[in-house]
Amino acid sequence: MVTTLNPGSAKVGSQVGRSVPRLEGRDKVTGRAEYTHTMQVPGMVHAKLFRSTVAHGKIKSIDTSAAKKLPGVLHVVTVDDVMKVLASPYYGPAFHDQPILAHEKVRFVGEPVAAVIATDPHIADQAVQLITAEYEELPAVYDEVDALTSKVYVHDVLKPAGTFADLKHLKNAKDTNLALDYRLRRGDFDKVYAAAEHKFEHEFKTQKVLHLSFEPFACIADYKDTHVTLYDSSQGPSFVRTEIARLLGWPENKVRIKVPYLGSGYGSKLYIKLEALALALSMIARKPVKVAYTFEEMFYQITRHPSTFRIKSGVDKDGRIVARKCEVYWNGGAYADIGPRVTQKSGLTAAGPYDIDNVWIDSYALYTNVTPAGALRGFGVPQLVWAYEGHTDMMARALKMDPVEFRRKNIAREGRPHATGQMLKDSPVEPVMDKVLERMNWSQPFDKGSGTVKRGRGFAIANKAVISPTTSVAIVNVSADGSATLYCGTVDMGQGSDTAMAQMVGEVLNIPAESVRVTPRDTDVTPYDMGTLGSRSLFHMGHAVKRAAEDARDKLKALAKEVGEPEGSNIPIAELFQKRYGMQAGNVIGSGIYKPDYTPPAPGTGQSPNVTPFWMVAGAGAEVEVDTETGHVKITKLINVVDCGKAINPKSVETQISGAALMHLGFTMFEKMHIDGGQVTNASLADYKIPGFHDVPTVMENIYVEHDQSNGPFGAKGVGEVATFCVGPAIANAIDDAVGVRLMEMPLNAEAVYRALRIKQGKPLEDE
Amino acid sequence: MIPFDLAEPTSLAAAVKLLDPDDATIRPIAGGTALMLMMKAGVFRPEKLISLRKIESKYSGVSVGADGLRIGAMTTLSALERSADVRKNAPVITRTLLTLSNIRVRNVATVGGALAHGDPHMDLPPVLMALGATLTVIGPKGERKLAVEDLFAGYYETVLEKNELIAEVHVPAQGTKKASYFKVTTGSADDWPALGVAAVIEGDGKAIKSARIVASAATDKATRLKSAEAVLNGKTVDDKLLREAGEAALQDCEFIADVRGSVPYKRELMKVYVRRAIREALGGGTH
Ligand SMILES: Cc1cc2nc3c(=O)[nH]c(=O)nc-3n(C[C@H](O)[C@H](O)[C@H](O)COP(=O)(O)OP(=O)(O)OC[C@H]3O[C@@H](n4cnc5c(N)ncnc54)[C@H](O)[C@@H]3O)c2cc1C
Repeated sequence: MVTTLNPGSAKVGSQVGRSVPRLEGRDKVTGRAEYTHTMQVPGMVHAKLFRSTVAHGKIKSIDTSAAKKLPGVLHVVTVDDVMKVLASPYYGPAFHDQPILAHEKVRFVGEPVAAVIATDPHIADQAVQLITAEYEELPAVYDEVDALTSKVYVHDVLKPAGTFADLKHLKNAKDTNLALDYRLRRGDFDKVYAAAEHKFEHEFKTQKVLHLSFEPFACIADYKDTHVTLYDSSQGPSFVRTEIARLLGWPENKVRIKVPYLGSGYGSKLYIKLEALALALSMIARKPVKVAYTFEEMFYQITRHPSTFRIKSGVDKDGRIVARKCEVYWNGGAYADIGPRVTQKSGLTAAGPYDIDNVWIDSYALYTNVTPAGALRGFGVPQLVWAYEGHTDMMARALKMDPVEFRRKNIAREGRPHATGQMLKDSPVEPVMDKVLERMNWSQPFDKGSGTVKRGRGFAIANKAVISPTTSVAIVNVSADGSATLYCGTVDMGQGSDTAMAQMVGEVLNIPAESVRVTPRDTDVTPYDMGTLGSRSLFHMGHAVKRAAEDARDKLKALAKEVGEPEGSNIPIAELFQKRYGMQAGNVIGSGIYKPDYTPPAPGTGQSPNVTPFWMVAGAGAEVEVDTETGHVKITKLINVVDCGKAINPKSVETQISGAALMHLGFTMFEKMHIDGGQVTNASLADYKIPGFHDVPTVMENIYVEHDQSNGPFGAKGVGEVATFCVGPAIANAIDDAVGVRLMEMPLNAEAVYRALRIKQGKPLEDE
Repeated sequence: MIPFDLAEPTSLAAAVKLLDPDDATIRPIAGGTALMLMMKAGVFRPEKLISLRKIESKYSGVSVGADGLRIGAMTTLSALERSADVRKNAPVITRTLLTLSNIRVRNVATVGGALAHGDPHMDLPPVLMALGATLTVIGPKGERKLAVEDLFAGYYETVLEKNELIAEVHVPAQGTKKASYFKVTTGSADDWPALGVAAVIEGDGKAIKSARIVASAATDKATRLKSAEAVLNGKTVDDKLLREAGEAALQDCEFIADVRGSVPYKRELMKVYVRRAIREALGGGTH
């Protein structure tokens, strides 16, 4: 292919908006793509972990003697050994609260207490089983609401990392489990609620579920005295580099993070997970050390936040919501991870996509003695929508108002202020809702079923603010033959970002996306990116990539001018380099940086004219059949609608919608980590089930509306999470419509529905 | 998982010789789908596994005769699913297999493994029990016959000696009997069942001559519901009788609670699905 400077025949818009097949698809389906979990590094040895069997306790002793004797075992490591190489073994994005291996105390069942390094993973495994530990058990706290007032404290002293301004006041805090108390105040909730015609108050809960990415956690650290390389299944190599450099007290340029493709992440592989441990083990072994989890171990790394949401609304006589109070408790587990950010960034949208003048939000991040919780596809928003869209339906029902009309009356429209005070722009909530209703044939009569099978339908709407402010940097390198290479830190973990980014480069440079090379992530080469999270990449990195490509294009034009080409010349790029450098030589390097404008929320009130550069908007509708004899719910129709701005790759948008919706269908209907006395009793894929093909609803539609995002690259915005928001409440609302029972807690499994039916009949089923 | 020895004998008799009645760390392995889960979880650590994959090929197929179906113990579940003989002579087995786990498991898991594991959550045992199937078991002293009904001794327990192997399953000809099986899941659709109910009924219209009803998964082992059968035998089915049968079934069962449901809930499921299984067998299902 000859790449030219101004191809006359190419039409603008030929790359963006095209369903380009995944650039890496062929490598993946033929088993050629590289993943950390299966990667080998010369000289590599393997580590396996010995984990706590108690939820909260002081470590009295650890006996590693038998493990050390096993042939093939190189080292058995406890935190004392770690502290000889890293004096302060604590890490974390919000708090430096997590020890590389348990230090003095254990805080959840499954916490790593010791590590075995061996020549073979099976030997390491066998040695782990020879380790024993004695603990002095302490009382534990598991529930997020209890944690706020409990006298059991998970941490003796809080240690904020210093990165986030709103955590500074927690430095050295004692006798508390509160890792952040976020507040938003707008108007006067107390006064207006007291005077409201109708008052509603409900409590909703969500359970503990986890990401279960197809590639379990894996990291290989190769420590040398002068530099360190980590091969890492990470969604955020830039953050890993910063944190590893901090732990070592080194400059960042001595730390290299290489990230191949990821077998998905969903937020689990953000910030820092196995990296600090792998680093310490490699420093001790003085060899490359691989830590790679089994599926069973995934239950002890990171999960989604269970939550309790107490929501109150005052409604006037015309059905307008005039006041709303939201109290949200986030069960963060033993270490904060990014929980405080979930607490704040989703907390600010807790009142929903509604136009309410008097809003009060308290959002609490809480430590408890269970596996830590962090970001999971939606950053807390699905838990919020679960509550406020159930609440909305319950109010409409109680007021004998149509749920559509009730929402129409209360939706916050363009130009109206959000609860944060920011004016809503590019937030097409009503068009998305209308699309859901159209695809549901909402205005048509609906068959409510007969006999023991009752039918119902429900819907939900939601919005989310993208996390801000965050920065992305990209480089586009045009080689002397005219081919283009993109360097960007966005991690393609299956969402198709490499393809979309290549499409943006192709669009600017007028070349096919398929011809653009996207380099694998490597912090020695790829520039900074805040992380592949929160649906931010297509927008933020998209801007940076577009700017980098434009910069390269402008430099090529300048080069053309320099070598005497007339304005508008369509000279092949290769000839341009030839003319300038006398041979096939040289590069043109374009770079781009993007960081959106942002105004920090006012402390105490959370008010800001600019908390987010864009809003995500979602709607879903569900039709169900409920078997009233067993409580089984069959989802006969699921309509998912999102606003994507402009679809850069329509097929990718569609698969992001279907993937997100099905993932949340599992969380909604049956997924649950069963925890008994702090012990996960179903920590394997045999007993923790995720949806399979037979769980896909009979009819499932995945639809986007294109509402140009005025400040987005090519009018686009992110869609990785948005279809997760409404699935749960839409189904719960449909169940209520079918059989008149309201479930306040997920999952909506058959037994939960059956028990609710029995309560309604006045014949509750006994507990055990 | 830690390393172990693997033997691959080429005959069933040779396999029997490699087993040790007193050593639980030596075990036969067929498809490995159940055993590997136990090994990964660390609950079973073999010294030596005796693979049955290379034994005589006659143990990995289905044949049909006047007295019924013969199914070799090494027949994979997917071979069973696709067998025209099975579909014709015992279509309830074919229907059961369609929702038994997933195609990846069915491609390697075997009939012998599904029975010998003694896991009450498996779908095939209650169906084979209701069909009145028997086993040919081979041990050091030769062959013996055993009804599938008598195989299970308890939760993950069978009456097989450690050096006995299942060679073959025999499903008797079903004549005019009709059959049904309900797999009731409470997690994902391809989860192990929370309850399985199989019914095989000899009757005329709504009149039941004899019924064999078996429940599993909710119970500690696949269990024949003899009290429910007694309610039904010789009667004409109506809603009241079905309810009585459902209630009677509870007497026969030792229920277990797990992540798939509490005991009170499984009792309710049992009552409903005993009814549904009988109705299904009488109404639509053919054996
Ligand atoms: C993900 C998953 C989902 C599943 N879901 C279901 C489901 O929904 N329904 C269901 O019914 N099953 C389900 N199963 C279980 C599956 O049916 C069993 O694992 C399988 O039938 C066992 O057969 P196998 O050949 O793999 O046995 P193996 O694992 O090889 O052996 C199982 C046991 O039987 C013994 N054994 C094997 N063959 C013989 C023999 N000929 N004689 C004596 N002893 C023998 C072994 O020593 C071992 O103790 C599932 C399994 C998996 C992995």
